[in-house]
Amino acid sequence: MSDEKESLTDHEYDGIREFDNPLPTWWLWTFLITIGFSFIYFLHFFSGSAPTQIEELNTSLSTIKKQAKATNTKEKINSPDTEESMAQLLGQTTVVDLGREIFKARCVSCHGPELQGLIGPNLVDEYWLHGQGRWLDILTIVKAGVLEKGMPPWEAMLQADEIRAVVAFIVSQKGTHPKNPKAPQGEKIGNP
Amino acid sequence: MKSNSLSYVEIEYDDQIVKMFIIATMVFAGVAFFAGLLAAVQLAYWPANMNLEWLSFGRLRPLHTNAAIFAFAGNAIFAGIYHSSQRLLKTRMFSDRLSRIHFWGWQLIILAAAITLPLGYSQSKEYAELEWPIDIAITVVWVIFAVNFFGTLARRRERHMYVALWFYIATIVTVAILHVVNSIEIPVSWLKSYPVYAGIQDALVQWWYGHNAVAFFLTTPFLGLMYYYLPKAANRPVYSYRLSIIHFWALVFIYIWAGPHHLLYTSLPDWAQTLGMIFSIMLWAPSWGGMINGLLTLRGSWHLLRTDPVIKFFVAAVTFYGMATFEGPLLSIKSVSALGHYTDWIIGHVHGGALGWNGFLTFAMLYYLVPRLWGTELHSKKLATFHFWVGFLGVLGYYLSMVVAGITQGLMWLAIDGQGRLVYPDFIETVVRIIPLYWVRAFSGGLFILGFLTMLYNLILTIRRAPKQQSRLVKVTSNMDTLLSSEEQKGHRGLEGLVPTFTVLTVLAVLAGSIIEIYPTLFLNNYVPKSSQLQPHTALELAGRDIYIREGCYVCHSQQIRPLPAEVLRYGAPSTIAESMYDRPFQWGSKRTGPDLARIGKKYPDLWHLRHMLDPREVTPNSIMPAYPWLLRKKTDFLSLRKKFSVLQNLGVPYSTEEVANADLQAVKDAKHLAKQLMDQGAPADLTEYEIVPLIAYLQSLGQKSKLEIPPLESPKGD
Ligand code: HEC
Ligand code: HEC
Repeated sequence: MSDEKESLTDHEYDGIREFDNPLPTWWLWTFLITIGFSFIYFLHFFSGSAPTQIEELNTSLSTIKKQAKATNTKEKINSPDTEESMAQLLGQTTVVDLGREIFKARCVSCHGPELQGLIGPNLVDEYWLHGQGRWLDILTIVKAGVLEKGMPPWEAMLQADEIRAVVAFIVSQKGTHPKNPKAPQGEKIGNP
Repeated sequence: MKSNSLSYVEIEYDDQIVKMFIIATMVFAGVAFFAGLLAAVQLAYWPANMNLEWLSFGRLRPLHTNAAIFAFAGNAIFAGIYHSSQRLLKTRMFSDRLSRIHFWGWQLIILAAAITLPLGYSQSKEYAELEWPIDIAITVVWVIFAVNFFGTLARRRERHMYVALWFYIATIVTVAILHVVNSIEIPVSWLKSYPVYAGIQDALVQWWYGHNAVAFFLTTPFLGLMYYYLPKAANRPVYSYRLSIIHFWALVFIYIWAGPHHLLYTSLPDWAQTLGMIFSIMLWAPSWGGMINGLLTLRGSWHLLRTDPVIKFFVAAVTFYGMATFEGPLLSIKSVSALGHYTDWIIGHVHGGALGWNGFLTFAMLYYLVPRLWGTELHSKKLATFHFWVGFLGVLGYYLSMVVAGITQGLMWLAIDGQGRLVYPDFIETVVRIIPLYWVRAFSGGLFILGFLTMLYNLILTIRRAPKQQSRLVKVTSNMDTLLSSEEQKGHRGLEGLVPTFTVLTVLAVLAGSIIEIYPTLFLNNYVPKSSQLQPHTALELAGRDIYIREGCYVCHSQQIRPLPAEVLRYGAPSTIAESMYDRPFQWGSKRTGPDLARIGKKYPDLWHLRHMLDPREVTPNSIMPAYPWLLRKKTDFLSLRKKFSVLQNLGVPYSTEEVANADLQAVKDAKHLAKQLMDQGAPADLTEYEIVPLIAYLQSLGQKSKLEIPPLESPKGD
């Protein structure tokens, strides 16, 4: 070890020696810079000039809302849903097929694979809890849900097109006869 | 035993105890690693739990973490400390009997943990899950260890303490403080207790403990081991004595403050979060001080890296330490935490440390120690090199797959589209996306285990060919009576000769941050305005809550909504202090393998929960949540509710005396009502007595108990 330029301390423990090297400069600077940063951040925060987390949240939420409003109004003007516009969807097999897929993924757990009703009501009988079973009635309930009764609102979960598709699928299944239908719920409306 | 500096005494070190701890280390490494592998496979393929309640994920994960930390790492630390301290102090351990009591006591504690955790006896506080009788046993055994260690220091023949011993001292005193403070709990029965802290206090104390379990159980002792075994194995002097001093004190003082970085964006007050963040950032350099001192010690012997597997393991271990201690401060920056927290990134981070640093350093130590202790050569260097490379690939694969999984899922959770809606509103979509990475992780874990098994084989053959042991006397001289130069008595050098002063200073260093952070939060619940105070849980809900804790639902589900836009859209208004003010223990969680449950109440019909708990895939295709069929077989423990209520009442939950006296009756009444409701919706008849009922009652109560301090934020629909 004679080639060492550094000086050893005179410590020796079980054969282990220690050099008396100074702290590496870059290391020391890293340490000092993190301390400096922390101090400034601390002052920034404790002087009250930093926004609280809730303030930050409210700012970003209102930005998001503004943006959303802009896009949504544009869409509404372009394509307001009507009974007629919805009824046309029935003829489009790609739309109904998309609706079938979505129903399988999202709705089967509560309405059953044959729409016969399970946790939620039967969707192919003549009884309706909400509205008259018209296109826009179903569309509204699927969008808004009935949270306190356990029907989730789907507006935030599905795209507008997807909701239309799943409604088209439900209507397309009207008149089918599932094997074990759930007992009727709501009022008898008949098939409009 | 007196001797002057010229004459020597002949003594024999107690190597038997070191061998015992080494064997325990190897046995429990196997247990910890295989439990981890099974847990990893379950996340990719849930039926791997074989539908056994004892192996279901919520109970297996605590078993894995406890085995890894306390059984594997714990025994490894003890082996290294008992071996190196005797040599550094030139004396046999203070008491052979205490050493044995320590050894067997610790193994009994591990056994108790291995039995109680799968049975579901758990406090649900991470790495502090063990119930109160075991907590007491841990305290007793730790004190025995401390007496033995400080007794040995008192009988030393070496005036000054080497840096490894500083780290051992810091470990012993701090772990004692952490464990005792975090474990103050009131027993309800032999294996059930409630902590004295509630909600936010419990969260802060727990993560002060949890973070510093990493600091003082997985970092400081291992740094001590590094400082002894690395220069020994490389036969090189330590790079810088001055760096040792600075980074030791900085580490010990700063580490203890960093706990709140586990609670960023929770309802913990902003000031505490800020302290947690800045102290984590300041921790970067002190941690790297250890890495630099380790790596630069090897200057001039880099050739050993090619030839000596022990050096390979050391270099990789220290490098992984450097990586993990850079990543830690990074993850503590609030905006990074917003992305990384609750995801698998954290799991990757932990395993970079646990497998890379603790695992590899232990392997290096074992490859170094076993041949020397058993007086023979290592059976096969080739196999050790093989172990290194498969192990290295394993750690890398584990780490990378989990970082990618975590960042992917984190980004998916946070994504919001132009219409102000979540891009991935369906949680399960974000789970299915990362399942391939869960497979990569399990495979990488398998590689790591393959390496471990190779080592086991290699070391067993090494031990088997060891010659019959003769007693090995060593000659030591004492320098306790030599006169010290004035320089040797001054400054830090002087301090290194004063054990009590050194120990007291260490205690003060760790107490400073602890007191400043914990003390104010102890009173926070008092400031919750009366109007927004919580209704405490009903007896039935409490019974359900204890089932939630027993099943370890908290390992996959958080109950804490962060004030981030995406989070508010997905789960509802941010969680408040008031909402968890009676929660003993708190259930904020640290990982979202499943969605947050803080406001799950009333989101779904009761029957939905019944079907979901019986088999989650019935309602959510592709779910990886375990099935809980036993909840329909096991009967609810109504009888203990009165005792539970009275303990909680004593702790300050506002139950009236009448409510306490009628807790069980009221619970049965509520259970009947809920069971009837379930039956009307189509569930099997008469579930009144079964555990599924209180669990559903509890889930339906979440988020429904308090008037919000802040009005619920409306979601941006734009209509
Ligand atoms: C968590 C269970 C659940 C899921 C999932 C669910 N529903 Fe429902 N649904 C219900 C319940 C419960 C009702 C009855 C609400 C009431 O009683 O007012 C309902 C009612 C309805 C109704 C009104 C029926 C009526 O009689 O007026 C429609 C339409 C409907 N759901 C469509 C859907 C569609 C489409 C999906 C999938 C996108 C879906 N539901 C998913 C539980 C669910
Ligand atoms: C292995 C991790 C894991 C464990 C353990 C676990 N869950 Fe889940 N949980 C999930 C996942 C993943 C989902 C999302 C998919 C689904 O709905 O099943 C989920 C979903 C849920 C949901 C529906 C949340 C929502 O908003 O849709 C509830 C309620 C729930 N779990 C309750 C529990 C309870 C109670 C326990 C303990 C008995 C538990 N979980 C244990 C992973 C887990």
